[in-house]
Amino acid sequence: MLKNKKKILIIGAVGGLARILSGLTAKELDQYEIIGVDTRDLSHLPKKANIRYEKIKYTRGDFERLFRDNNFDTVFHLARMSHAQSNKTNLAQRLDLNIMGTNRILELCLKFEVKKVVILSTYHVYGALSDNPTFISEDSPLKASIKHPELRDVTEMDQLATNWMWKNQHQIETIVLRPCSIIGPQIKNSMSQYLTTPYAPVGIDFNPMFQFIHEFDMANILFKCINDVPTGIYNIAPDEVISIREAKKQIGIPSISLPIFALSPMAIAVKKLWSFPDYLLEYLKYSCIIDNSEIKKHIKDDLFRFTTRESLELLKLR
Amino acid sequence: MLKDLLSKLHIISPKEDQKKFDQAFSKLYKVYGKTEDPWGLNLHKARKSMEYIYPLYKDYFKVRVFGKENVQDQPYIITSNHSGQIAIDGMLISTAFAMDVDPPRILRAMVERFFTGLPFVGTWAAEGGAVLGDRQNCIKLLEKNQSVLVFPEGVRGVSKSTPDYYKVQSFTKGFFRIALSSNCAILPVAVIGAEETFPYVYQAKSIARMLGLPALPISANYLPLPSPIDIYIGKPYELPKGLNADSPDKEINQHIFEIESTIQSMVNEGLKSRREFWANVKK
Repeated sequence: MLKNKKKILIIGAVGGLARILSGLTAKELDQYEIIGVDTRDLSHLPKKANIRYEKIKYTRGDFERLFRDNNFDTVFHLARMSHAQSNKTNLAQRLDLNIMGTNRILELCLKFEVKKVVILSTYHVYGALSDNPTFISEDSPLKASIKHPELRDVTEMDQLATNWMWKNQHQIETIVLRPCSIIGPQIKNSMSQYLTTPYAPVGIDFNPMFQFIHEFDMANILFKCINDVPTGIYNIAPDEVISIREAKKQIGIPSISLPIFALSPMAIAVKKLWSFPDYLLEYLKYSCIIDNSEIKKHIKDDLFRFTTRESLELLKLR
Repeated sequence: MLKDLLSKLHIISPKEDQKKFDQAFSKLYKVYGKTEDPWGLNLHKARKSMEYIYPLYKDYFKVRVFGKENVQDQPYIITSNHSGQIAIDGMLISTAFAMDVDPPRILRAMVERFFTGLPFVGTWAAEGGAVLGDRQNCIKLLEKNQSVLVFPEGVRGVSKSTPDYYKVQSFTKGFFRIALSSNCAILPVAVIGAEETFPYVYQAKSIARMLGLPALPISANYLPLPSPIDIYIGKPYELPKGLNADSPDKEINQHIFEIESTIQSMVNEGLKSRREFWANVKK
């Protein structure tokens, strides 16, 4: 029965965002069959009639088999290896997975005539710098790796995807999404962890502005990419902004006020007590506020169901 | 108790000024909202800072504001001369437009790039309305009907030596092109007296370069001297028709020179009625 259905591939199916997206797509689009793949354990994922999970290794062979056996209509690449548990030793692994892996997936999408591919990048590609203008647009330079070479994989993956997107725009529709900090009970990225870690430092010397999007809203935008959003690069962020001190206050978890400029040299010592990526310190100093006008041209109604304050409140459910 | 003591010493605003704050900020809250804006403006924090700045503005620098009648209820690119080694003129102009001009407004002062990276100071300035001096920021703020404050002399304005104190340095062109693209009126402002707050001794250019600072004035004092300061607000400069943001330099240079000359003549005129340096003590 499922053989005639259109197929959607979700790479990185165990991630919180992918789980919500799978559930949403399965519910809203019953003419699609969803195949979720991940290297991690899939046993605890919710079972639904039109979702199938496969545990695979992210190797060329496994992906080739997957694409050969299924005639995918849409591919969601949500499997970027996060910096949340980053260290210098896994940099090579991240470069391999995020850059080489993405390249392999894109090649396969083209070869097997996938109609649409959606790639999840991040606003981190712009970098948090003291001279960032407010409302950074999609065509701004990606400056993240200027100060933090360990963010090279993030910027290169984004650039690889966007170059590929324009080159092959007549064969395949490609969407690159650069969301602001995604937060929610199911998301375990570095910003969610920072916000919910008790006694994580908050600057007394800096108070950058942030945009937060709830995981459900982000999943909803990913879902709308299937039919409503054309080829392009899109920043994803709500209109609302909030300073980091206000955000921390909203969550209500105790934090320590420290001068962030003094934390940088102390970072090595602090990291022994609290694991965080080095680049995050820059985000605690300088704002990186992105412009959302491009995505609004395509998704007009109910773009954001949760306000920033609600999203922060819901983070307490973790 | 500390607040009362600071109030008695005129370090924070006394109670009689609170009514003035209430009036001004009730109007400001309506325009700017009660939550933070994307550039970091926080009106609650801005008010707190203003409560400390206002006694300095009123009783220490004894600021006088002339030409308030030239300000209408519309956004402006406020263009001022820059002076004083350690520039406090921006802070005083912003205070004047929030407290002494009707309708009050929070000026979005365009600050140097290095400034936003300074711990404490950068955040404090942003909460009060300051913004990184970037063309994109300026355009977005004008689109939101906010008034921006620019110092087109830049660092040349604040690092003047004593003989050049009242010579307006040549202006950069960015502000005029932004005015043309956004069709926003330019309001010339002249500040007189800020030069004497930090007397010029030496400009440590090589150390500034090493530290990545735009200038490093060596002053005899790092607490500002109580120089009386006058702020003159001129008539809005009408934007020429037929020019746009991409017009060649030679066509816009004459207009920039005219604005520069207007501010220079406002400075020259203002110097005639300049109060004595020790006016504060005499009064």
